[in-house]
Amino acid sequence: MAAPHRQSRPSNALFAAPYLVVFVALLVVPLCWGVYLSLQKADLFGLYGYTGWTNYARVLGDALFWQAVRNTVVFVAVTVPVLVAIGLFLGLALNARTRGAAFMRGVYFSSTVLSVTIVTLIWRFVFIPGDGLLSLAFEAMGWPPIGFLSTQGWSLFSVGVATVWWCLGLPMILILAALQQIPGDLYEAAALDNASRWRTFTRVTLPQIRNTLILVATIQIVMQFQLFGQAQLMTNGGPNGTSRPMVLYIYRAAFENWDVGQGAAASELLFLIILVAAMGQFWITNRGNKA
Amino acid sequence: MSGTAPTHGHSRTLFWAAAALSVLMFLPMAWVLVLSVTENEALSRGTEAAFSGPYTLKNYTDIAGNSGVFRWFANSLVVAVGQTIGVLILASLAGYAFGRLEWPGRRLVFVIVLFGLAVPEQAVIIPRHQIFSTLNLHNTYIALILPGLSLPFGVFLMTQFFRAIPPEIDEAAALDNASRWRIFWKVLLPLTLPAQATLGIFTFLFAWNDYWWPLISATDKDMYTLTVGIASSQVNFAQTEGLGFLAAQAVFAALPVLIVYIIFQKHVVTAVSGGAVK
Amino acid sequence: MSASIDIHHLTKRFGALTVLDDISLAIEDGEFVVFLGPSGCGKSTLLRMIAGLEAVNEGEIALGGRRIDTLPPGERGVAMVFQSYALYPHMTVRQNMAFGLENVGTPRDEIARRTDAAAKVLEIDHLLERKPQMLSGGQRQRVAIGRAIVKEPRAFLFDEPLSNLDAALRGRTRLELAQLHQRLGTTMIFVTHDQVEAMTLADRIVVMHDRRIEQIGTPMEIYQRPATKFVAGFVGAPAMSMLPLSGVTRGPLGARLEVAGVGHIDSAVTLPEGFATQGASIGIRAEDTRPDAGADTGADRGTGAGPDMNTGSNTGSGPNTGPGSLPLTVDVIERLGDRTLLHGHLPDGTVLVAQDTGRSQVAPGQVVPVGVDPHAVHVFDAAGRAHHAGEVR
Ligand SMILES: Nc1ncnc2c1ncn2[C@@H]1O[C@H](COP(=O)(O)OP(=O)(O)OP(=O)(O)O)[C@@H](O)[C@H]1O
Ligand SMILES: [Mg+2]
Repeated sequence: MAAPHRQSRPSNALFAAPYLVVFVALLVVPLCWGVYLSLQKADLFGLYGYTGWTNYARVLGDALFWQAVRNTVVFVAVTVPVLVAIGLFLGLALNARTRGAAFMRGVYFSSTVLSVTIVTLIWRFVFIPGDGLLSLAFEAMGWPPIGFLSTQGWSLFSVGVATVWWCLGLPMILILAALQQIPGDLYEAAALDNASRWRTFTRVTLPQIRNTLILVATIQIVMQFQLFGQAQLMTNGGPNGTSRPMVLYIYRAAFENWDVGQGAAASELLFLIILVAAMGQFWITNRGNKA
Repeated sequence: MSGTAPTHGHSRTLFWAAAALSVLMFLPMAWVLVLSVTENEALSRGTEAAFSGPYTLKNYTDIAGNSGVFRWFANSLVVAVGQTIGVLILASLAGYAFGRLEWPGRRLVFVIVLFGLAVPEQAVIIPRHQIFSTLNLHNTYIALILPGLSLPFGVFLMTQFFRAIPPEIDEAAALDNASRWRIFWKVLLPLTLPAQATLGIFTFLFAWNDYWWPLISATDKDMYTLTVGIASSQVNFAQTEGLGFLAAQAVFAALPVLIVYIIFQKHVVTAVSGGAVK
Repeated sequence: MSASIDIHHLTKRFGALTVLDDISLAIEDGEFVVFLGPSGCGKSTLLRMIAGLEAVNEGEIALGGRRIDTLPPGERGVAMVFQSYALYPHMTVRQNMAFGLENVGTPRDEIARRTDAAAKVLEIDHLLERKPQMLSGGQRQRVAIGRAIVKEPRAFLFDEPLSNLDAALRGRTRLELAQLHQRLGTTMIFVTHDQVEAMTLADRIVVMHDRRIEQIGTPMEIYQRPATKFVAGFVGAPAMSMLPLSGVTRGPLGARLEVAGVGHIDSAVTLPEGFATQGASIGIRAEDTRPDAGADTGADRGTGAGPDMNTGSNTGSGPNTGPGSLPLTVDVIERLGDRTLLHGHLPDGTVLVAQDTGRSQVAPGQVVPVGVDPHAVHVFDAAGRAHHAGEVR
């Protein structure tokens, strides 16, 4: 009937159609097909029929998978708190309307815009034995050299250092944004109440940016679970898989061993773990909120 | 503002601590920069040469002679620009449809699209790879550009922007006899230019830095993007054409994004903080 | 090119919420009609339905005899000025005004001619190349009007266009709008909740309330013969005082209205046989009262007081509280310069506002006998329907 301006019309959806086609074709379909693949015996050349939970059983029975899970969980458990803490520190330190603070913000964010290949290249120049910056420093101090990229324990640590260096810009910016939203009169009130600096921080600042801290942590959990490029390029998972994260395990399975079904199954498992971790973290922090 | 009054809750001690620690940000970059201008032969005897020289720009001129790196650079440019334009077009149209128009199912579809934000790349990359294999599209620009267009972030951002425009503006345009398309093109789109800039820069950086998808899709050396190309150079790290040359490549590859970043710093920061920081 | 507007049995719902219920209204060609009503009563919604910005659930709208409610907004031949002006921020003033004409393929020279003419009339011709951000609120408002004028619409629709202006500018623009209407002679609908705007601009006022039209009439009719208790209370400042009616007897001019615990008021109102006093009330405007504050203030009063005020006109039981006059205990005195408002209460607690001269000597706490013009008394039945002097409804 009527054709007024706000009327709901199917033809209006045409504006969204181009995107939706791409969205469905390259996100929705792959997502669903991934689940389907994980239930198939499949390799690069085709599908060889439904195998039920076989792929999952193979993945879950694979010691390498569990090693990758352990590596990833350790990696996330260490890097995420470090990133949030550094972000908070930088946010507090650089939340000023001075040129110096603006410049420092620019510096700390600059690494974020680099690609993973450049970041890892930079850090390999630091970590490589013999020629690396750290090697030279150790030599100068007369300390015994450490094979940062090739020693068990150190290799995952080195990947973590590069990752924190690469990723700290985003937490800083998000926390800065939250800090700037805090109304100034809250601080004035606290000052009138003779609150000490520390009390102002714990009683005014922290509660005000609490939600942002939770958001930052969630984003970082989701991102760091997907660790891939740094590990692949710096250590290639070595030595002995001690720095191999889950995504690298998936990559190996699907694109090096061409066991597509197993790779897909591992992908779904990782997706599940990420969802559980992100939601669990969210749930725990929100529960603390009410208590 | 008065120079002495610090922002509330801001501590000078913290600032100087952060300033001092920024050495850790600089140092690795500076190290690579120095390596890149040190003579390769000297470096092959030991990287101590970086402190003593001899220094040269030969590593950079070698890049000019190395057609591979240039080819990769061009590929990255095509992919990043192509993806940016594509995202801007699709996200603007969709943002208008979601943020401004009514159609059956709009809410539900939008929620589904938002769920797409939560899908990690590894959950879709294997099937995606198969789709492009089936279509025989690997090692083409199309394959490198298309997947980036499916990301919901741009649609989300543009929808927010379209929503923020007062509805009276397009009501006035409707009374002015403008068609839906003309309202979009002539009236609303010009108002989203700041958002376009933000989204454009963000997409460009994202596309330029993308690693995993080009790694598995572009297997032909000529179709490498710079990111993948640099990765392939560092695989056989020690026995490459030389550390200095590798360092020069890194600097060369980092420069475009750093320049884009420095010029558009404000927009980049706005994009990541969702417009909360001025 | 002006046209009449006919609205037939229009209903508008937002989901389960009905905001307009069976509205019918005929606006004549060239008329200036004001929609007046409290916030949220659906004035904007009705206007936007005429413009085509909201869908019609039931009913019809016709412009110049042709049904328009099925047409898209641009093809209806109406122009609208929004409260927020809704200028296109990225276009210059000239482009803002030309956009609508370009959309229908008006020739360039014609666009230029109309734009220049409108800009000249509105005295914004020196602003044509500026963008809206560089204009003051009043200038933006003019551009918005200009954008409507150049389209030469068959009807203008204004949605509270003056509410963002300061008081002085609002007064001036109001006058200019009236002149514009006189010059163009085009049908205009103007939405406001400001009754001064409504009274000064309108040929006819449409008072809306609670999904319906309460009354349609000229400003004088609306003010002096409000059709309902709502209209009576909504129009006029201070608001009409309402006294509970407890009984009706015959008086010298019409009904004698009893107010329990207070006394009675003689009125010229003729009430129908068997009028139910349950829930009924008496409405009295301040200017129709005549407080008798003593001999020294009696000489120069005159505002609104008719010759046949009935203060003490009847046999009295006391000097100040005779039948027909109301003993008002004054609580607050509001001096407006040319007149003085006495806010007080009657013995039964009912609040009443009376009007005295500018030189009133009344002090708070004083009890003043207040007389009432019998021809200006309004009686409202329990349903709110009004009865005025000299008619039976
Ligand atoms: N899009 C909408 N969806 C749901 N309800 C609406 C919508 N628009 C208006 N309403 C409701 O319809 C009623 C009438 O609104 P309208 O804007 O017409 O009032 P108004 O008389 O113009 O008020 P004001 O003087 O405040 O502008 C209000 O109760 C409002 O809440
Ligand atoms: Mg309104």
